[in-house]
Amino acid sequence: MGRGYIVDDTVEVYLSKLCEQQSDHVTGLVIGQNSIQRDFVVMACRTPSREEPLVGAGKSPDKEWISEHARQVSRMLPGGLSVIGVFVISDADAKETLASLRQLVFAVQRLISSESLWKADDNEVTDCVTLHINPKSRKISCRTFDIKDPKSLAKPADWKYQAAVCSSWSTMSCCVKVDLLVPLPDNKACTKSMDECLKEGLKVWTYQIENAVCLIDGIQLPDDAELTAGQKRNVRQVLTAQLLVTPAQQDTLRDVVQRCGGALSVRGAIHSRAYVHNNKPKAKLAEKILKKDVVSTMVTRVQMLLDELLAPEDESKGVGTDKPGTEQFCLPHRVFCPAKGNGSLCVCDYRFNDEDPSEVIDRLKEMLDVNAADQNLDTKQEIVAEIIESGESEDSTAEIADVQEPKRNNNYIGVAMATVIALLATAASMLYLHDI
Amino acid sequence: MTMIVDSNGIETGDFLRVRGPLELKCILDSTDVTLVRKAISRTFENLRYHVNSESCVLRVQDSPVIIWPNKGVHVTPREITTSTMCEELHKWIQTDEQEMAGKRSAKKKGKKSSVARVISLNLMMEVTKPGPLPAPILCKTIQKSHFLSTTLPMDCVVNIRSADTIKDAFEGLLEALTHQLHEMERVMLCHMKGTTLSVPEPFHFLLPESRGLVTAVYPAGVPDSQLEPQRKELHERFELPEDRPYFRRANAYHFPNELYKDGYLRNPHLALTHPTLDDGKVYLVHGLYSYHHYMQDRMDDNGWGCAYRSLQTICSWFQQQGYVERPVPTHKEIQQALVDVGDKQGSFVGSRQWIGSFEVHAVLNQLLGVTSKISFVSQGSEMASKGRELANHFLSEGTPVMIGGGVLAHTILGVAWSETSGQIRFLILDPHYTGAEDLQVITDKGWCGWKGPEFWDQTAYYNMCLPQRPKAI
Repeated sequence: MGRGYIVDDTVEVYLSKLCEQQSDHVTGLVIGQNSIQRDFVVMACRTPSREEPLVGAGKSPDKEWISEHARQVSRMLPGGLSVIGVFVISDADAKETLASLRQLVFAVQRLISSESLWKADDNEVTDCVTLHINPKSRKISCRTFDIKDPKSLAKPADWKYQAAVCSSWSTMSCCVKVDLLVPLPDNKACTKSMDECLKEGLKVWTYQIENAVCLIDGIQLPDDAELTAGQKRNVRQVLTAQLLVTPAQQDTLRDVVQRCGGALSVRGAIHSRAYVHNNKPKAKLAEKILKKDVVSTMVTRVQMLLDELLAPEDESKGVGTDKPGTEQFCLPHRVFCPAKGNGSLCVCDYRFNDEDPSEVIDRLKEMLDVNAADQNLDTKQEIVAEIIESGESEDSTAEIADVQEPKRNNNYIGVAMATVIALLATAASMLYLHDI
Repeated sequence: MTMIVDSNGIETGDFLRVRGPLELKCILDSTDVTLVRKAISRTFENLRYHVNSESCVLRVQDSPVIIWPNKGVHVTPREITTSTMCEELHKWIQTDEQEMAGKRSAKKKGKKSSVARVISLNLMMEVTKPGPLPAPILCKTIQKSHFLSTTLPMDCVVNIRSADTIKDAFEGLLEALTHQLHEMERVMLCHMKGTTLSVPEPFHFLLPESRGLVTAVYPAGVPDSQLEPQRKELHERFELPEDRPYFRRANAYHFPNELYKDGYLRNPHLALTHPTLDDGKVYLVHGLYSYHHYMQDRMDDNGWGCAYRSLQTICSWFQQQGYVERPVPTHKEIQQALVDVGDKQGSFVGSRQWIGSFEVHAVLNQLLGVTSKISFVSQGSEMASKGRELANHFLSEGTPVMIGGGVLAHTILGVAWSETSGQIRFLILDPHYTGAEDLQVITDKGWCGWKGPEFWDQTAYYNMCLPQRPKAI
């Protein structure tokens, strides 16, 4: 018994358009949500062409390039939506391309999961779809592979188009305050770099979020309860989530006070959003999807900032080269844009303060093939962070701590911090966060 | 200190208890003591702000009830409102029947359950807030400094009066939390040495004569012996006698819904109905002890270890009343102590040799610094006349008594004695029991039970070791 993919009509339209283009072959990503019984596909997007095609590329898909495309696209999908497969439009025989498609889908998922923090539960679906479409005959060949099993063989699957697949989703969202403070190592003690320290702090925070109590519309639902109980199938629900945390237990072996060479703090809030298909979604699943998005959006932004700060010269080695001081950087904020189709689903992107909104529009077009006009961009979910300049005094005084509190919102507690201005970040490596 | 008692001075028996860890984190960028203290105080102020903010959440354990005490006392589920009686919360809590191991005693007829009910709450923080809010800012500071990072183990208790609404009770709880943070700040700063800081830990103590619970905060890592001035102040404040401890860590009140982690039964005698003698009175051991007997701790001492077990029961009494911090000694440690005082040869350690009341007295002295009186009867029938002596012992010392004679050792936990008729019963804890910690079996089969004077071997010689309570706080 193969899997069944329920695909939105707009995807058919999109794929047809791609078929009409006169290119050798087109590859791209399939985006949707897996569940135990069914899989839903809400959009597809072609991989943009490489500016300089690789020498000897030939007809086989460019694994590296497509994997990179998938990695970037994953960051642009809110909770619940993910890259669940790949497609290729070519007039080669479906059977011939199967092997290369198989390699491709494994490579894609490998790269995506290396960035993600979540190990798949036993309950989670680990099948990915590979779609082959002949542009002339429009014949579809749909197979799935279990990416948890390296020896997995292709299994046939159903690919069915249906209207309004994009309309029957419940949206959950919340705004999560973040307030992290991590010490930086003392010079002589160890050579941990800044992003390693940040990663440790985020690990603890992730653990808190994973174990948080989740309220949906003010109530904690039993695990097995259905999210849409009492609602008609096609009614779009918009639910507000609340997360209650217990601070993680400290390991008592460590001294209460330790030497440090400084500190990193991350303070602000992130808007998190997740979609669950209305096909009898369980509250527990919805909670997991939302929490996954909370963690991903935070990690993505931190990663993006560290990538930006990667200094051309390698200053990372000696912490001793860091001059004393304090420096502040704004993490990018999240912007939403409706996905294709008439539904309520949105994709997202991150915009740094100094970027023009047109850059966001360009990226959405390039990565997701989504045409976003300025009006479609929803920039209201997060307020752009502002760095408030503080004086360069050496002493930490209560005055300075007050100034650093954002004016708009008085619920941020200023933890007393040294106010000296610091250096730019050291060389960034990718943040790989694994389960605790 | 937080004192929770209602206006009549009567403990009504129900508590609200909130526990939860709060992070205390800050940079100490100077070694100047004044600045360090200021930084710590500021961080505590932040925590107090947090606890009094709308983000503070209290969750009733094992129930769907969640309360925001600072949002006009907002509650979910919505059926509960601010004017609901606090007692109603019990209906929402799912109790686990299997956990009630020690509760079988309450089922005995005529035994009034004086067990206080506790509603346990978890302290949590809501990290979500209605948006939109500013996106995060990363701030990097490079400076040689110190980093303070610890978890404060918040633990507050409030007594609920029958007329209390949710609003009253939770506002009281918030006050207690705020007050505890002040106390913790004070204790932390008071015991600060350079950059060494102790984590402040709360303990609850039950005052005698139903005067309620008192909470004191002690610095972790500072032993009881160094905290005598604080205890003295507490004794004076609450007008308590200065010759027995009430405020040592070991004296902390054990809440009815908490299990003992070590698995030993506590005070099995409380499950018994005490004998009623004509014109007689019952004199019992004071406080808490653990029941030690054959085969426990994977030690097969069946047939030879009874006096050791009785000694262990006595040691457990001294530990749990707070006179000593030393854990209950093992058979080997007991034997080693006897070698150390020169009473036995080195080969004694690891052997299966019996000991008697003299050895018990020697070990109590050597390991616990406790002195004992030795008493004896030349024949078991004379035990019937020991009523007054034992009664006086339980009145003034209240410690368990080890008695050895013939080939057996037992522990005497109390005596029922009539001065006029001379009738006497002995409350015996028998260390020869080899089964599991099953209160029902132990009480039904008389392993802990009241015995008449015929219990003793009428012709055997018996020695008793009566441990004396140190006069200290």
